[in-house]
Amino acid sequence: MKWLGAMLAGPTLWAVVFVVVYAAHGIICADGLSPSGTSQTARITLMGLWCLGLLAFWPLFRAVPQGVGLRAQLPRAGLWIGLVATVFTLFPVVITSSCQL
Amino acid sequence: MTDATFPSDAARIATADLPRNPAQRALALNREMDAVWSNDRGLWGQITSVSHTTLGLRFMATAFVFFAIGGILSMLIRAQLATPDGAFLDTELYNQIFTMHGSIMMFLFAIPMLEGLAIWLLPKILGTRDMAFPRLTALGYWCYLFGGLIMLTALLFGVAPRDGWFMYTPLSSATYSPGINADVWLLGVTFVEISAVAAAVEITVTILRQRAPGMKLTEMPLFAWYMLGTSVMMLVGFPPLIAGSVLLELERAFGWPFFDPERGGDPLLWQHLFWLFGHPEVYIIFLPAAGAMSTIIPILCRTRILGYGAIVAAILGLVFLSFGLWVHHMFTVGIPHMALAFFSAASVLVAVPTAVQVFAWIGTMWKGRPELHLPMYHILGFFLTFVMGGLTGVMLAIVPFNWQAHDTAFVTAHLHYVLIGGFVFPMMAAITYWMPLITGRTRVRGLGEAAFWIILIGFHGTFFIMHLTGLMGMPRRIDVYPDNPEWIWLNLTSSIFGFAMTIGFAMFALDMLLQMTLGMRARRDPWRATTLDWAMPLPAPNFNFASQPTARHLDRPADEVMLALARGEGVLPGAPRGRREFLVTSVGAARPDHVALLPGNTALPFVLSGSIGVFVLLMLAGLYALAGAALIPVAVLIWVWARGLAPRGALDGIEVAPGLTLTVHHHARQSLGQSGLMALLVANGALFASVLFGLAFLSVVTQGPPAPLAMMDTTRALWTMVVVAGALLLGMGAVRGEAPIWALTGLLANSVALIALLAGLLPVLDDPTAHARDALRAVMAGYVGLHVLVACGMAAFVLDQHRRSEIDKLARGAWPHWRLWQDFTTVTTLVTIIALIAQQGAA
Repeated sequence: MKWLGAMLAGPTLWAVVFVVVYAAHGIICADGLSPSGTSQTARITLMGLWCLGLLAFWPLFRAVPQGVGLRAQLPRAGLWIGLVATVFTLFPVVITSSCQL
Repeated sequence: MTDATFPSDAARIATADLPRNPAQRALALNREMDAVWSNDRGLWGQITSVSHTTLGLRFMATAFVFFAIGGILSMLIRAQLATPDGAFLDTELYNQIFTMHGSIMMFLFAIPMLEGLAIWLLPKILGTRDMAFPRLTALGYWCYLFGGLIMLTALLFGVAPRDGWFMYTPLSSATYSPGINADVWLLGVTFVEISAVAAAVEITVTILRQRAPGMKLTEMPLFAWYMLGTSVMMLVGFPPLIAGSVLLELERAFGWPFFDPERGGDPLLWQHLFWLFGHPEVYIIFLPAAGAMSTIIPILCRTRILGYGAIVAAILGLVFLSFGLWVHHMFTVGIPHMALAFFSAASVLVAVPTAVQVFAWIGTMWKGRPELHLPMYHILGFFLTFVMGGLTGVMLAIVPFNWQAHDTAFVTAHLHYVLIGGFVFPMMAAITYWMPLITGRTRVRGLGEAAFWIILIGFHGTFFIMHLTGLMGMPRRIDVYPDNPEWIWLNLTSSIFGFAMTIGFAMFALDMLLQMTLGMRARRDPWRATTLDWAMPLPAPNFNFASQPTARHLDRPADEVMLALARGEGVLPGAPRGRREFLVTSVGAARPDHVALLPGNTALPFVLSGSIGVFVLLMLAGLYALAGAALIPVAVLIWVWARGLAPRGALDGIEVAPGLTLTVHHHARQSLGQSGLMALLVANGALFASVLFGLAFLSVVTQGPPAPLAMMDTTRALWTMVVVAGALLLGMGAVRGEAPIWALTGLLANSVALIALLAGLLPVLDDPTAHARDALRAVMAGYVGLHVLVACGMAAFVLDQHRRSEIDKLARGAWPHWRLWQDFTTVTTLVTIIALIAQQGAA
């Protein structure tokens, strides 16, 4: 079970960061903090959450078992899947307007 | 018990070195197994069967019947659209037919078909004798059949759902959809989904706990990896739809306004909940099909699969990413740019793991020597069709294109390319591949190939053209188009090819029928496979293996392995104790853990699903008080069900191989029942999270009218919740005691919590019809109340087990299960209290 947990760690972390950033975006837009999508506070908040999420991968990469063979490779692959997904799906916090429809 | 080896001892035994059992006479062993595992005779035997072989095949056969019905409905749609002023169907009937076509294909064909394949195949390919919970398999089948029949009957009586297979509100609300049409969908589909959740639970447990000794997770057949991903997705993906359906039915039946914008609700909440299920659903359908492909391709190419590890990683990526795409079905509803970009990026990214699999399959074919048997035709049909569907999927993931193509026939074409390409072609490959194992016969040559070509040409003629129709602006779900002559020839062409495709499917069915009735006797292992599914007699018996395979039987020619297993040289040979038994192994390395004793044939699943059906019918009839009363027999039958697990006869350890004696499951530290309950709680947690999502969405995002001033006595409500929480925490402590006095304490604590909810909270709740806020509070109080009620029942059950002396130092009875439930109930109650306080604060 521990090994399964290690394999799921990366994608799970992506799911958590995705939900947190999406929820924060919803709260920011609903509260009118950044109705035009130009508020620096809103953007910094979202970018901060994204960066925190990316940083959280660091200890996981250090914790997963090293070595060769599928048993060691799959948890690492899981982490890479999570990391790439976190970078790619949430990079819009850097370039897109927050709340503009 | 004195001679039993504890699991920890068994774990030290190297599975690769499990000693051989002495060889016996294969025929005698087979007869011994058959006497214990076979179904009862006649119609009664069909009702009482709990065999995975019988039920898996029945799932698939029933799904195929529904596929035929859905196909006939699609022909009615094509007949109507063949001309611009089609007078074939009136608008009302047309609406019912396209809604039922989609609903049948999704809920009554695709999902049950994959469930059937998994239920039939998994025990065989994993080297075990049945699914983890045979009675649950049967319950799932009957719920599926009864739910499907309710929906079909509604169609015959002209009261079928008519709001599209996604039932968008407000169209499906009581205002715009009076009558029972929408209720048929909401209640019928939820009834059918019991089978999906049941299947997901047992598939998960079967894969994790019942693999042949020595079959490590990292070495198990790819089909099992695919099904593990699918079952986990089903556990997490179905609850949002169940939550949405319950909320919409509550709105329709009792006026609780979750989706009514005039009373604080939001139609978009339905869309979120529906697509939180709906998009993962596409992958839930695709993954088992891909699992079948990953099994068949290397065998028909006389090689090994290329990139086993990459495929497992791709499954992992797909399982997770598919839950981050749902908003791409809602790109046009008015969503901020940034959120659009999140989901657009995720929708594009998901193509990567899909492509990894496609390249792995192509690479496998490249390095092997492909043999063009009939299953391979369908695999090639898959490649052509699914890749095209995937590419239009990437197009639709791009927001500007999506805005242009949204709700047009282009989307209809895309989804049919993905679903027929990604599910129907692989399923046809799977059926033609495993038919010799199902029937014991070979097929009649020629007809299957002709059917394939007609289906392929008919399909592309129908749906490739439909891309163009959509790009020319034709919307989905319209029944006439008198002002658009430019769509006429395109629609006529689609209709002609659509009928050709139907003829092809009819020929495919005829081919299967002929094979079942007239086919020659098939030889063993006709594909020269190395998987365990072929290491058994043809057709496959209910018990699969007279003795269960071990590490030495894995990845070897199936016909060699079959003889050894039939002679009883594997573990746990025969049925000398006259009961159904199989080996349970550890999760990771598949070490022998204990022996599970299974229930025999019983009508209980049939009766229980019938009782649930009575509840559904009473709800449909609007007899809500009676429907509530109908839950009493359901509860009684669940108690009887649990009593059926009580230990009977000798519970001594069983020598499964020379020198290796294992305990039976009553004495196991981690039984299959506990694993199953954990899987069920994952689904339950997803349901709870869906309701919390609704609470957050309506409280934060929805810009509806403010809630009326709360009349609720908040002080009393708060104190009541403190009492409930305190009582449940006491229950949590009690359940760790595992003695009669603590069972009584737990029962009393849960009873206090229940009484506090009923007497303290219920009277002070605001009218749930006034505003969505109040309706959500009532729902969450109901959720907690139901869980506390079940906890009371479990405590009472444990007390009863103590009274009957069924619990001792070795047998823990239902204590572990109650403990899991009690902990879950307490945690969700505490989260509910915090959420409601936060909601009150936000208001």
